[in-house]
Amino acid sequence: MMNPLDLTGKTILVTGASSGIGRETARLISQLGAHVVLVGRNEESLAETLRSLDGEGHSAEPFDLSSTDEIPRWLKRISATSGPLHGLVHSAGMHKLRPLRVLNSQTAEDIMRINVVAAICLAKGFLQKGVCASSGSVVFLSSVAGLTGQAGVAAYAASKGAIVALTKALAVELAGEHIRVNCVAPGVVTTEMGEGLLGMLTPEQSAALEAMHLLGLGSARDVSYAIAFLLAETARWITGAVLVVDGGYTAH
Amino acid sequence: MEKNEFLLLLDELLELEPGTVKGSESLDSFAGWNSLGIISFMALVDEHFSVNLQPKQIAGCATIDDLVKLLGDQISGKIHTGSAPGSVNGR
Repeated sequence: MMNPLDLTGKTILVTGASSGIGRETARLISQLGAHVVLVGRNEESLAETLRSLDGEGHSAEPFDLSSTDEIPRWLKRISATSGPLHGLVHSAGMHKLRPLRVLNSQTAEDIMRINVVAAICLAKGFLQKGVCASSGSVVFLSSVAGLTGQAGVAAYAASKGAIVALTKALAVELAGEHIRVNCVAPGVVTTEMGEGLLGMLTPEQSAALEAMHLLGLGSARDVSYAIAFLLAETARWITGAVLVVDGGYTAH
Repeated sequence: MEKNEFLLLLDELLELEPGTVKGSESLDSFAGWNSLGIISFMALVDEHFSVNLQPKQIAGCATIDDLVKLLGDQISGKIHTGSAPGSVNGR
């Protein structure tokens, strides 16, 4: 039986693979046949993700993406071992609930560094000769916070809005290199990050937020399906797109 | 952190002149103590003390001093008047 999402023989690097959407994406694409290069800061959690993958040929590469200048060289080293990459998913991210009165420039810069600057440097590294296969798919993680206003998350929202702009700019710049660039914009999902956000809200605020998601809060698996779609042949004519996966949050 | 330093942070959070907040005031007396103000307070505590407070802990506070007590030994020079509602370290 033909599976249009089949990723057999593809090598795909996933950042933020030690938890949440990154971990679930790694699991799903391993089930679809991909060899996965797992990236995260926490070696133990990364090893746990590695053990949960289907198939063989996966690897774990502990790395702190805040060292943004190191990213291109580091990607070159990784691809020398893993072979050329067919896909890249930047799922690592930082979320902090910081109303403007409490937000300081250091926190804003930390958020931008991991969420945006690391994305730019990953794309730059991916483009290098020998790192990217003859064609490739890059998937960034935006957020509904980057598309609609939410109180208390200005820096995070700015970073996720920047991801939308980055996606479109790189889609144009890299189309000639046969690299597609897209992003997924999730609503609130029940990952550690999502639960951290919900933990800061009163029961009434949580209920209101959940009600905004017409289909209820999402799971990491819900988002990983969309990422796999963008990585696979199913999205071969799609670049520069923002795929909103939010249970209806932005529908009203 | 000294209590006075913490109170100055609360002044800023509540958009008050430095030195306004003393400690015994009722939280409800501050116009800035609304839902966003409460989230801002939780963010401030996370930023300065790496402590994640829960909304229900804050809901149990009636005065500024109750907020101070939530932070236990992280604030020096605090007023010791019984146990804090939902204190983070159980003191």
